[in-house]
This record gives sequence, C-alpha cells and structure tokens, in this order.
Amino acid sequence: MLGIPTKSKHTKGHNMNEKTLDFIEPETSVKVLKVTGQKSSRKRILDMGLTPGTRVDVIRRAPLGDPVEFKLKGYNLSLRKREAETVLVEVLK
Amino acid sequence: MTEKITVALAGNPNVGKTSIFNAITGSKQHVGNWPGVTVERKIGKRVYNDVMMEIVDLPGTYSLTAYSLDEIIARDFIIEEKPDVVVQVIDATNLERNLYLTTQLMELGVRLVIALNMTDLALAKGDNIDEKKMQEFLEVPVVSTIGSKGNGIEGLLEAAIDELHKTRVTENVFTYDDQIEENVEKLRAVLESDPYFAHYPSRWFSLKLLEGDENIIKKAKESNSYSEIQKIMNQTDAEILEAKVADQRYKTIQTMLRQVCNINTSHLSGSDMVDRVVTNKVLGIPIFLSLMWAAFEVTFTFGTPFMNIIDIFFGWLAETATNVISVPWLASLVGEGMIAGVGSVIIFLPNILLLFFMISLMEDSGYMSRAAFIMDKVMSKFGLHGKSFIPLVMGFGCNVPAIMAARTIEDSRDRLITILVAPFISCGARLPVYILLAGAFFGRDAGVVIFGLYALGIMVAVLSAKLMRSTILKGEDTPFIMELPSYKLPTLKGSLIHMWERGKIYLKKAGTIILIGVVGVWLLASIPAPGSNGTFASEEVYGTTKSVIGMIGQVLEPLVAPLGFDWKIAVALVFGVVAKEIVVGSMGVLYGVGEDEESLSNILAAGAMTPLAALGLMVFTLLYVPCFACIGVIKRETGSWKWTLFQLIYGTSLAWGFAFVIYQGGTRMGLLA
Amino acid sequence: MTRSYGNKEITFAALAGVLYAFFGLLHIVEGLGIDTGMAGLLFIPGDILGGFCLLVIGAVFLNGLREMLQGINAGVSFVYVGILMSLIFMAVYLLIMGGNLLDSFLVPDDYEGWSVMESFRPGIYLGLLSLIGILYWKDSFSSNEVLVFLEGA
Repeated sequence: MLGIPTKSKHTKGHNMNEKTLDFIEPETSVKVLKVTGQKSSRKRILDMGLTPGTRVDVIRRAPLGDPVEFKLKGYNLSLRKREAETVLVEVLK
Repeated sequence: MTEKITVALAGNPNVGKTSIFNAITGSKQHVGNWPGVTVERKIGKRVYNDVMMEIVDLPGTYSLTAYSLDEIIARDFIIEEKPDVVVQVIDATNLERNLYLTTQLMELGVRLVIALNMTDLALAKGDNIDEKKMQEFLEVPVVSTIGSKGNGIEGLLEAAIDELHKTRVTENVFTYDDQIEENVEKLRAVLESDPYFAHYPSRWFSLKLLEGDENIIKKAKESNSYSEIQKIMNQTDAEILEAKVADQRYKTIQTMLRQVCNINTSHLSGSDMVDRVVTNKVLGIPIFLSLMWAAFEVTFTFGTPFMNIIDIFFGWLAETATNVISVPWLASLVGEGMIAGVGSVIIFLPNILLLFFMISLMEDSGYMSRAAFIMDKVMSKFGLHGKSFIPLVMGFGCNVPAIMAARTIEDSRDRLITILVAPFISCGARLPVYILLAGAFFGRDAGVVIFGLYALGIMVAVLSAKLMRSTILKGEDTPFIMELPSYKLPTLKGSLIHMWERGKIYLKKAGTIILIGVVGVWLLASIPAPGSNGTFASEEVYGTTKSVIGMIGQVLEPLVAPLGFDWKIAVALVFGVVAKEIVVGSMGVLYGVGEDEESLSNILAAGAMTPLAALGLMVFTLLYVPCFACIGVIKRETGSWKWTLFQLIYGTSLAWGFAFVIYQGGTRMGLLA
Repeated sequence: MTRSYGNKEITFAALAGVLYAFFGLLHIVEGLGIDTGMAGLLFIPGDILGGFCLLVIGAVFLNGLREMLQGINAGVSFVYVGILMSLIFMAVYLLIMGGNLLDSFLVPDDYEGWSVMESFRPGIYLGLLSLIGILYWKDSFSSNEVLVFLEGA
C-alpha cells in the first residue's frame, strides 16, 4: 500500500512512545522532542516552529503517500518523509 | 520634495506582501533581479506627505538564516544597504510563526513598522487581536491593513515616516537565558571594540556567531579580533544553542500572544474542509489534472484568436511595407526580416499573458502549493520539486510560457533544471512537422509515431532532469519544507498586475534576443554566397544554394549525412530555429514545391528520404536547439549565457545521437526498408 | 454537532453527480469514435480530456453524496468544490466559445460551415445547474466558512 512505512525500519529512541514524525499516522497528535539531521534542514525545521514541546497534528498524507501535511501553531506545513524522519516526537494520548 | 527615504518590505511568504506592495506603489514598479542572482527584485516609488519613498520588496522569508538564498538576500540588504525603515507584513491569521521573523528583524536593530495584514480574515475566523497591547509589548508601531482592498495603507506610510523621526531603536526586546546572554555580552564587548564591526548590529552579530552562522563567521574571520571571538564561541555548542534560540523566541512570542490576542482554534476552518476535497486520496490527482486541463485550454485554445489577430496584423504590415518600398532588398529586409521578426516576438504574448493570469490565480488562491503537494512524489523521483510539474505540462502548448512558469519554483537548482529540460516537451509548433512526415511515411501508423514522439519528449525531459541532478547540479538536497497557506480569494487587480509584469519582462528581455535571431537568419538566407552571382535578398538567392545559408547547409551536410539528411534538410533545420513549424515550409521551398504540403509529402515519400531518416528527422526536430523565443527566455530566466549554451549543445547532441541510432541502427537491422 | 447539510444538498449532489458523470462518459465514448446517437441533440463533442474533466466533477459530487449519506459532516464540502469546479469549466468553455466566434471572423476559411453552436457544450449548460445551486446556497456560502474564500470576505 502507498504511504505506509515498512515495519523493517527502526524508530529511534528508547521510550515506546518516541517515534520519528514520518511514522505517525494521520489524525494523530504528537509533541516534538528533538530535531536531528543536517544542519541546514534542522535549522529550517526549527525556524518553522517545530521546536521541542510544540504540539503537531498529523493531518494527511499526499495522495501518493508523500509528502505529509501537519498542522502546528495554527498553520499547515508539509514535509517530505525524508525531512519528517529527522523529527523525534512523542505521541499524545 | 524634501526627503527621500528607502523602505524595505519584509515578511513571510503568502502574507499578502505583494498586495501591500501593489497598494503602496500602484503601477510605479520596476521588476529586475538582485545583483548576481536570478531572484526577482521589485522596486516601487510613492510620494506621501512630501516624502519620496522608494519601496524595495524583499524576498518572502520565514527566517533570516544563511541557508537559503532568499534569506541571505533579505538580510544582506538590511545590513549592508541599511534601509531607513523596514515594514514587516504579518498575516494576522497566523501570528505566531510570523512574529518569529519579527524577533530577528528587531535583533537587526532596524526601525521596524508592522503591517498587521488580513485583519478581516482574522476577524472572520473569530480571532481577537489587541493591536494597542501588541504595540506596547513589541515597542514597535503596529498598523492594521487589508492589502487586497487597500485599507490602512496611508496609516502604514504615516507610521513609517513617524518611525524615521524617532531617536531610539529597540533591539533587545527578546532576551534569552542567562548563559546565552552572558556569551552574547562577552562577544558584543569584543565586537564593539573593533571598528571592523561598527557596520553591523552587534547583538544580532553575536547571536549569529554563537549559532554558527557560516556567512557571519566568514565575515568575522576577516577581522583582527577573530581569535578572541573564537575563544568565546568555543565555549558553547552551536547545535544546542540554535535549538535553544529558536525555542526561546517562540516561547516569548507565545507569552506575548496570550496577552494580546484571543485565537479561535476550536473549529475546522474553511481551508481544512476544501483541502479534504482537493488533496483527497482518490480524487486529489484527478481534480488537479482537470484544473490543469482548464488552464491549458484557456492558455492555448482561447489564446488562438488573439494570436491570429497578431499574425494577420503583422502579415498585413509586412505586405504593405513590401509594396510601399520600391527597393526590393530593402522591402524584403523590412517585410520578411524586421516586421516578421517583431511579429514572431509578439505572437507569444497572448499565451504568456493568459498562462500567467492563471498561474497568478492559482498562486494567490493558495492552490499552487496543494498542486506541488499532490505531485511532489512523482517529481521527486526525477530529482525535481512538485512545483516543476506545471511548467512541464504547459510545455505541451508552448515551451516559452512554460520556461517562464518555472519562476514559481523557489529553489534555484530545481528551477534551473526545470528550465533546462522544459524544451524537450513537445510543443504545438513541432506538430506540423510530425504530421507532414509521419503522414507521408507511416500512413496508418502516423498516430502511433506522433504519440511516441510526445512520449520520447517526456522521457528525455525527466531522465535529463535525473541525470543533471546526479551530475552537474549535484549537491546537498534542499529540504522540502512547504507551507500550505489558507485559501484566499485572488484579486483581479493583483492577477492583472502579475500578468502584465510577465508580459513586459518577456518583451523587454527576451524580445531583443528573438529579434536579433530572426533578422540574423533572414540575413544568412539573403546574402549571396561568395562566388555566386545572385543579388542580395533577391528571390533567386533567398534560402537557396546561392545564399550563405545554402552554403552553410552544404558545409553541414557531412555532419548530418550519417543521419540520412541532405543539405536541404540541414538548411530547413537552421530555419527551424526561427520557429519549429518553419521546418516544413522551408523544406517545401527547398524541394521546389513551394508551400504545397501535399506535393512535398509526395516528393519525400517518393524517395527523397527514407522512412528511417524521416523518423530521425522528427526526433531531431523534437530535441535539437529550441526556437529563438525559447533561447531568449532561457537566457532571461537563467540569467546566464553559459546555461543557455549548455541547453543548446546538450539538446543538439541528444538529437544527433538519437537520429544516428535510428538511421544507422535501423538500416543495419533492415527495419522499415 | 449540528448537521451542516440537509435533503436539498443530498438531492443536489445526487443530481449533479449523475449528470456530470453521465455526460463525461458520453464525451469519452464519442471521443473514442463510437456514435452514441445523442451527440447532435445534446451538443456533445468527441473530447476525451474534456469528458474526463466532467467525469471528475461528477465523481466529486458523488463522493460528497456518499459521505453525506454516511453522516460525515464535512461531506458537504465536496458539493461546494464540485460547484466551484463546474463553474470554472463553464467559464472556460464560454471563453472558448467567444474565442472561436472571434476566430471565425478572423480566419473564415478555417471555419467554413461552422456555427457558434458547435462550441456550445454540456460544460456550459450543466454549469447552469451549479449557478442555480450557488444562488440558492448564497447565504450558506457567505455565512459558512467553507467558502469564505469564494466571497472574499
């Protein structure tokens, strides 16, 4: 199926609730823990407001599965999975 | 006039900055490029209360880092050119992220005025913003505006002039934790003692050093105090600090927002509901394709009568000129050379204006980023951005507006690749060539052959994109981080201004190149070849063996002989650079049948060419040097002759290679014999 | 949560959906060279791509219908987008009709035996349905945030 990550990929972190943002299913809310990755993309992602502690709602995947749309700080943002992978988050219950 | 000031317009993308700019300057705008790069720069003028204001529209940015060209341009302009006032346009429906840029502008120590734009939409959404409190908190004038209706513009100009006459500028409303502040202070002390840094806002410069900003570090390295600076910098970890700085800026903003406004987050907004439809898993792509088809129909089908008007007018003008001028060569120069040349520039105007009107509607309404969102997966496979899709599709109508449409792609590398591969998409002008040749040689299978040519064009375009991405235009991938702005009603005025700007740029910048090209080819076809006894521009010389172009054809013959082409075809291809459909007409003249296509196809099929050579010729026509109009816009849009030349050589080599394989390979294997 | 749609919306979605889908299919069938016998009467051109577009509009309406019947509140937004799309196509085809008329005066040779009704097509007259729809729902269009952007308010 399109857009569903394969199970073989590992999520980073120890906590069961810690995942990278590309793994989160639509209609789920998460809290940002940390942004990793290349310096330039990390800085841009931080600038767009994905700072630690920010609540992010995963809205939907594009029709072909990538990129993914998020809602945070009252606006909508889309990231390719490759960028979403660098954002470590915790699922909000 | 007493005073002359410079006002820079800053802001995030999609906040209505352009509508504010238009509302301030009206039609008094000049569109050019920032020095040395192809990022667009708009400058406008406005006289208000006896103050002559020059308004500079900075590129829309979310931040002021050194990672994107737009951000570097914006901040360098502010630091180096020191505008008298900076006006930041803020989207009132999206305060938190917009104010992030405000924090950075304030740290730059500029005289700042905030235009709180789209307050009508914020109100409709149910947000309640207390401008007075906001102004007190930020210590910066805040003026509410509605750019699309032109509301609040005078108040904004007034505030900008008032701000200029104030003595104090706040630069540290936003404070960070003690550890950061301590290091900032240490650095500031060093910077302020070194005259080299007197030019720069010291607090901002210190922060950027601590964040590890490459451009700023480079500047610091040239100073004498760099070793001292380095010592302080080494005490902190840039990576941790940069996250902390972003985090603390947003925290301060949140604290402020809690006091100055009441944001309604409870309901599903109109934009979200529309997005549910247009980015729907099943229907999203079909809806997008339908809208593309609508845009295509308007641009090319609706554009046809306007092209005919231009065609008829210039035909009449050329004829009149030829009749009036009694000297034959001069009549031909004016009629067939210059007037036809001007006509061939203007003929593209209807398509360009219509396409940009629609692109403007898509961009201003917010649909353009949805289109990119939907198509990105496909385009990223070939190393392109979702936004590259629209220029490539429009190429099926005409490559000229398609190349210009690449403007909508923000990243310069993605844009360059799109421009370089767009000419491979088979445009409408190549179709007459296919119809004639495929009809003459492939009869019932003509449709399949033509379809194959279109498919080949697409394949060459996307595979070339992939190839360029992994070779000459390699490098760190730009991250895909795209806002999906809320939908807005585009304004007619805004779209018309945008459309007219594009038309003007095309006429001014590309027009000259096209005109020179067309007149140049006329000259080559008219000047008698050395040794032949024809007269300049006479009918017996024009385009025949007796002309320079005929001579060139014969010189080129050995080069194209391996493709099964003779000198006549070489000449027709040279003419084809004027416009590809001319290949057919020139062949008719060269084979001595005039404009009659029926007899031309009979002569060709009777043995003037083999079917394999004909197939090769069609592929060659598809891929070789695009027409002068394309060359003109490629030069204008890439801003570089080097890349323009690269496109020409790359395309022609591919054309030659394909035609060679088809003719030689086919002949050896006995295909189509 | 109150329902933002009623029987009128449901009926409209069903009617517009079926009509657009049906006419879209007719365009495609005619475009493939199969005579349906209805082309002359209903002004249907053989136009595969144009037919595809009408079919998509039909599908948007029908999906709205499906969601509304399932009780999904946001389903009504499909109806609004469908109306918007059908009006866009109506405008496009009207423009082209005007353009062809102009062109027939400019290059009469290319238009021998042509009448303006040849550019009259279902995209135009089906759009009237949406026009009625938008007039009828004008209030909900302007009060409902869904189409705030349509009104520009």
